[in-house]
Formats: sequence, C-alpha cells, structure tokens
Amino acid sequence: MSEGALPKEDAVLRVDDLQKSFGGLAATDHATFAVERGTITGLIGPNGAGKSTLFNLISGFYEPDGGTVEVNGTDVTGMEPYEVAEHGLIRTFQTPRKLEGMTVREAMLVGPRNQPGESFIKLFATPGSVSESESANLADAERILEDFEIDHLATQPATDISGGQMKLVELARAMLAEPEVLLLDEPVAGVNPTLAKKLKEQIRRLNEQGTTFLLIEHDMEFVMDLADPIVVLDQGHVLTEGTPEGVRNDDRVIDAYLGGGT
Amino acid sequence: MTVLGYLANGLVFSSIIVLGSIGLSLVYSIADFANFAHGDTMTIGAYTALVTFGAVGGLGGAVLGLPYGFFLALVVGIAVAAIVAVGTEKLIYEPLDVDSIGLLITSIGIAFIYRAVIQIRFGSDFTRFGIQSLRPIETLLPYGVRVTLHDVAIVASAVVLVAGLHVLLQYTDLGRKMRAMADNPDLARVSGIRTKRVKLWTWVIGAGLAGAGGVFLGLFNQLSPRMGFNLLLVIFAAVILGGIGSVYGAMAGGFLIGMITQLTPFFSNVVEALPIGPGWLATLLENLITIEYANAIAFVIMVVVLLIRPNGIAGEGAT
Amino acid sequence: MSFLDDPKGAFADLTRPERWVLGVSVAFMLFLLGALLTGALGPTYFLFLVGLAGMYALLSFGLNAQWGFTGLINFSVAAFFGIGAYGSALMTAESSPIAGGFNPLVGLVVALVVALVLALLIGIPTLRLRADYLAIASLGLAEVVRLVVLNERWLTNGSAGVRGIPSFFQGWPVLSTFPETMPGLRLVVIPGSPIILGTSFWQSLLNVLLVLTFAGVTFFVLRRAHQSPWGRVLRTIRSDEDLARALGKNTYSFKMQSFILGSLIMALAGVFYTHLNLYVGPGDLDPITTFYAWVAVILGGSGSNRGALFGGIVIVTIREGTRFLNDVALPIDPAPMRLLLIGVVIVAVMRYRPQGILPPQRELIWPSAVDDRGTPETPDSGVREQKGGGGDE
Repeated sequence: MSEGALPKEDAVLRVDDLQKSFGGLAATDHATFAVERGTITGLIGPNGAGKSTLFNLISGFYEPDGGTVEVNGTDVTGMEPYEVAEHGLIRTFQTPRKLEGMTVREAMLVGPRNQPGESFIKLFATPGSVSESESANLADAERILEDFEIDHLATQPATDISGGQMKLVELARAMLAEPEVLLLDEPVAGVNPTLAKKLKEQIRRLNEQGTTFLLIEHDMEFVMDLADPIVVLDQGHVLTEGTPEGVRNDDRVIDAYLGGGT
Repeated sequence: MTVLGYLANGLVFSSIIVLGSIGLSLVYSIADFANFAHGDTMTIGAYTALVTFGAVGGLGGAVLGLPYGFFLALVVGIAVAAIVAVGTEKLIYEPLDVDSIGLLITSIGIAFIYRAVIQIRFGSDFTRFGIQSLRPIETLLPYGVRVTLHDVAIVASAVVLVAGLHVLLQYTDLGRKMRAMADNPDLARVSGIRTKRVKLWTWVIGAGLAGAGGVFLGLFNQLSPRMGFNLLLVIFAAVILGGIGSVYGAMAGGFLIGMITQLTPFFSNVVEALPIGPGWLATLLENLITIEYANAIAFVIMVVVLLIRPNGIAGEGAT
Repeated sequence: MSFLDDPKGAFADLTRPERWVLGVSVAFMLFLLGALLTGALGPTYFLFLVGLAGMYALLSFGLNAQWGFTGLINFSVAAFFGIGAYGSALMTAESSPIAGGFNPLVGLVVALVVALVLALLIGIPTLRLRADYLAIASLGLAEVVRLVVLNERWLTNGSAGVRGIPSFFQGWPVLSTFPETMPGLRLVVIPGSPIILGTSFWQSLLNVLLVLTFAGVTFFVLRRAHQSPWGRVLRTIRSDEDLARALGKNTYSFKMQSFILGSLIMALAGVFYTHLNLYVGPGDLDPITTFYAWVAVILGGSGSNRGALFGGIVIVTIREGTRFLNDVALPIDPAPMRLLLIGVVIVAVMRYRPQGILPPQRELIWPSAVDDRGTPETPDSGVREQKGGGGDE
C-alpha cells in the first residue's frame, strides 16, 4: 500500500493508513506517508486523486474513517482543526479566503496564535498586556509584509487586492501563526507568473529559515523545481514517493496521469 | 377519543402541513434560501379564497359538504398565492445582490408586508368561511373517530394535489429538471438546465400548494392574519425532518409532524398510564407532554434532527 | 480632531451617510424640542420615549454583538428580552407567584444569571449549526420559551402577566424617594399652555438616567471588544469560519462567548423594560420584538454600534409614530402599519443598502497599539462598502 514511501527519522507529520470514504466511494484509501522536518514536500496526483481530501483529513476538517495522523509525535487524529493548529500544523486554502471589512493589516493580525487580546476577560482585566502584544504583532505583521514586498498594501481593504496578492497575504498570515509545518493547497493556482516566482522565492526563503512545507500543486514545473521529495497520490493512496527526477521517470506515475488511473 | 380518532385528526392536519412543506422544501433547495414568507403565502391563499367565496357564493351544488363555489375559491386562492410569489421573486428577490442569508432576512420583510396588507384590509380578528359547520360522520362515531365530510374533503384534495405533483415530477421534463436542481443546483446549472425558468415554476408550484394548504387550514380551524406565520415553524420542522430539497421527504416529514402534534393528547394519556419512575420524571413528562406544548415538541424534534441528522431522517448521514 | 475644536473640519471628515444621519437627527431633535416647548409633546411622555429608544438601542447592541460581530443569526432576541424582563419582575413584584419583594438589584442579577443559563441551553446545541439552520432553530426555541412562560402559571402567572413591579430605584437611599421629594415645577414657555413637571416627570428622568447608564456601559464594553483581537476573531468567523479554525481559533468557544455577551445585553434591556413599564406579560415575548431588533441592526449597519443606536431610535419613531398617526390623521390600526413599515424597511435596506446606513468604516485595531506606531491611518475608501448582507458561504 505504501510502497515507495521513504523512511523518515525526524518526521514532523506522519500519516498512517488514513482512510475516508464518501457514500461508499473511497476518497482516501489507506494513505501512508511522512513529511521530514526541514523539507519542502510536494503532493501531486491526477485530478480526483484525493489530495484535497487528504489535506482536510490531516488538518482536522474531516474526520477519518480509519488510520492516524501525527504532528510532532502527537496523535492528532480526530481533533478539531484548531487543536491541530495548536500542535503546530497550519494550512491554507485553495481559493483565497476573503476577509470582508478588514484591511490587509487587520487580516494579517488574525494569524498570531494565543494572543492575550483574544480573551474577553483580559480586554478589561489587563488591557496593558493586550496593548503590548498587539503592538508586537503589528510590528511582526509589518515586517513580514515588508519581507514579502507587499507592505504598501497594509491599509488596503483585504477584498480589494488581486488574487495573487491574496495568496501572498495568506502565506504571510500563516507565517504569523509560527507553524512547524505549513500545508499549502495550490499556492500558485491562478497566480500570474511574476507573482508565482515571488511566491516560490518566499517559500524557499521561509524553508531555509526552518519552516517545513507540504504543498499540493498542479503546476508541475513549479512543484518539481521547489519540492523534494515528492509524494504521488493516485485514487486515494500513495503511489510512490521520490525525488523530482525519480517521480518524473516513474512509469506508474505517467500511467496514473495518462490513464486517469486504472 | 380513541387512538383511531387521534390518528384521523392527525391525518387531516398532516394533509395541510404536507401541502405547506413541499413548497418550502422546493424553494429552500432550488431558490437556495429559507423562505420565512412561506407561511404568509398560505395566509394569502386563505384570504383570497375567503373573498372569492364571498363573491361567487355556493354556485348550486355541493361535494363532500362543500359548495362548488368553495372549490372555485380554492382554485383562485392557489392562483393568487402563486402569482404573488412569482411577482415577489421577479420584483424583489431576483434583483437583490445578497447571499442566501440576505435573502432569508429579506423574506422576513416580505412576510411582514403580506401579513400587514391582509391585516389592514381584514382586521386582526378570527373569521370563517361562510360555510355551515358539519356534524361528525355518524358511521365513524362508534370507532371514536370524529371527522366531518369537510375533513374528508381536505384529505382527498391534498391527495389529489400531491398525486398531481408526483406525476409532474416523475413524468414531465420540467419535473425531472426540478428534481435535478433540488438535488444539486450547481450540477444542474452546468448541465444546461435553464435554471431561471425552473426556478419560476418552483415558485408557482410551491406557492400554489401553500395557497391550497392555507385555504384548508382556514376550513379546518379559522382564518386570521397570523395563521400562516404561526404554522411556519411547524412546517420548517417538517421540512427539516424530511431533509431539505427532498419533495418526498417533505411529504413524509409533513405527515410525521402533523401526526405528532395532533397525537400529543394521546401521548399524554399514554404517559399518565405508564408506570414511569422516578416520580419526578413522570410528573415532568406529564406536565410537558400536553396539548399546550404540541408545537414546542415539534420544534424540539426539529432541533434534535438538525443536530444529529442535518440532511433529514431519510437523507445521507451528516458530513 | 474633536468636534468642539474644529466643527467645520470634523463635519468635512464625515462620510455622506454620516452627514445625512447627522442632519436628519438634528432636524428631528429640533422638531421634538419645538413640540416640547409648545406643549404638544408632554415632557414625561418624551422622557418615556427616550427610555424606550435606549431600550431598543440596548436590544440592538445585544444583537449586534451576535450578528454584527460574529454573523450569528439569532432569532430568539425576544426570548432573552422576555427572560430578562420576567426574571427581574418575578424577583421584585409584590404579585410574583414565586419569590417577589426583593431589591431590584437582586432582580437584575437573577435576570442576568437566568439569561446566561438560557444562552447556554440554546447556544450549546445550535451554535454548531449552519447559519440558516441556526435562524430556524433559534426561532423555534424562542417559541418554546414563550410557550413555557404562557403555560406555567405557577411560575409566571401565565397569560395574566406580572403586576406590581416597583421602580428600579426602590429601596435605594435617596433615589427611591427622589421623585416624590422633588418639587413640582411649572414652566411657562408659551403663555396659556404651562408645562407641569411633577413626580412622574422626575421618575421618568431617573429611568432615562438608568437606561443611559446601561447603554453607555454596554457601548463602552462593545467598542473595546470590537477593536480588540477578540473582536477580530469574531469578524473572521463572520467572513469565513473555516479560515479561523485553520488558524487555530476555537470558533465554537468564540461563537458561544459572542452569543452569551449579546444575550446578557438583551436581558439587560428586558430588566430595564420591566421597571419602565411596571408590567410584563407573555405578549412581551412575541417574535415581533426580535424583528424590531433586527431592523435596527441591519438598518444601522451590521457590526456598527452607533448604527445600532441610530436603528433603535428609528424603531421608536416607527412604533410611536404609527400610534401618533392613528391618533391624529389616519384611522388605521397602528399594529399592521408598524408591521408594514418594518417589512418595507427590511426589504428596502436589503435592496438598496445591504451594508446599512452607518456601516463600520474605519480600521479596527486596538487603538493604543496603532497610536504607538504613529500610523493612525484610515483607508481611502470605506473598508466595508462592498457588502453587508452577510458572510460568504
């Protein structure tokens, strides 16, 4: 079932024998793989291979029918998404999520976890600590926006920026949550080539600074250039895992893409 | 009253709820919002029939204790309810640039406007159709069943209307498209169904059936400007029980909810007879399962269904 | 920039709808002042209206904390209002079938505690539901509450309601006898129609001060909450709950907090109503109260506290305006006229201005944090201008 999965010593995310079916149809079929700390791991597969379902299972949005998910050695199977996030796994969405009525800066500030100001009591009991952390978060947000070269958008309405810029903001916001492993669902879908290049540079830079990535992407060139290793999903199970080179030359992968899986 | 008697009453009331719930369910899935004006559409049907019947009179003969003129009034009530609903869709809902929650809120405004207009014209008091009340059918009395010929007429008419809808849904092109859209609106749109036309027909059918339900409700109880709004939540309970978007589910849900509310006095007899311990529980149940709480029981059932089976009791499990 | 330092500049800073609202409000105030001075509007009745407006504003604040902040479609406003009113009435009234005779402060606390319990009872099952299911379920549960109040005579007196409710200041030093001890005043503005300020005037004045205190404290709390990271999470949930969950926010808990906060404010409105009206009955739990609050919030602008305040005043104008019209001009029953106006306002707002008249315009970041960084910027265009109907699904 999980043939081809590479042995991992320091896995930040471990998926074991994960199963999920909808109306009798197996969307995730005994999937097993792991994400090694410090890597950018790619997750590819033909349409309908179950990549998004897998993301939803890992991040707690779906409850698996069987199998386990471990983040940092903790079993997070069946936990709520926010609990999974608390263990260091943050995800983004395929379609950028719009935060109506917020500026980019405000939308960014949703990112940091465990803000004292998120406790209603503290707003009135210790407003000082709320102020302090809000100032610090605001500074962080502005610094990251500068790093991403989109600081000029800070006070723009979050709904008024382009789709590509939204993807950048989403990535930047996810970084404010200080994830150990970040799941990106098609980070460059619908993004123009210039911005896609910028996103690639940012992901690489953040990876060098220590963040582990797992990303779904249809743009083969993008994923082959960025990710190593690459996990190939077909009909809900892991077909193989390997280097971009190895995957590219694997006949089974080519068959899966050509035949739509048989 | 005997069990049979309660069941017979339940059947009559269920017929009215079924007529209301089909339209609410269809509009919920095809127009994609919870239409809070659906109850007041029933009121429109009832009052239109009241006016029509007052104008045309009996027209000679009678069937099942109801003059011909009443059936003409019923048809006019159905037609006016449908026309008002289509007009509202065209003038109000269609031009709106809001999501389904916005439509839901708008429909509350529409409900108030319908009711206010009726109340301004007819006052807020209860009224009745000018038809003499009948005595219960003699031959059924020994079985403890107290139904009148009017009740029989309500059930029979509801059966005719529902059978007609069944034929429409199963054997016509429009019916197939409606079922497809109710099932999966996005898919239907992609597959080239002219959704706007289907949507209009949904309003016609849904509101028409609601209008009929309103007329029968007026015959079964009385007419008042609040009659429809008061029944709205019971109908929502039926729709949710049956699963939103499923016409046959709405029928089943309407039947069940109608039965449950009418059988409440019977259940309360059962509770009193049963040796329930501990004593406080028995007292509590005896106090809660009473006719005053018939609707409350329906609402609680609705919330429970929403929680454990949001797709209805017959639908697929929660996802 | 303070309005006093630079009135012209402050006026120029306002958006068009803000100027419009300001203009209408000033005109309305002048009209009321004129009516007061000429004796057409009795000062006691005027104060009663102000109290009522404050009550609707409170009710709208409560709903705004739920729908405006978090996007919770709560159709059980009337239940919380009624629970607040009954809780306080049953504790303080002489004719109370249960306790009775307690100090109104005890009534206030009991009412809030009961409302908290009810919020948990309604919230725990329904807050996990989809937005439109929440609407239906909460309306159903509110109806259950109304039926209980109507039918459990041993507890609530049933359809007779509760009478003999004291003023809120009963048993307080000084204030309890303040209206009686104050001298009656006789003002003559227009010769021949003197204005008498007697005991009932002072009593009404106290009530107005009470509701201003309630509303003022609520406004302050809500404004701080709205600008805080807490409020930001609620606004994120309103726009996109899944995003909030993915970012590690326990959305169920936040929704519950927002629901409880709003419910307590609605109960507070009920407590005030009890001591204003001095009678409560099951009719006070009629769903129409829920929709009065809804009209106020969507008209004022969902998420906007000052909008809710404005909406509250409009509701009183509709309520009392229809009565006035009925008295002097049209012999039409005011009840359906009110219903019609409410309906028309809902439809018109959704059609022409779904974001409401005074939507929140400015960036909401904890003020001192922004000041520290010296960037008190406001976006060029209104942040919320796009849409106000509701969150995207």
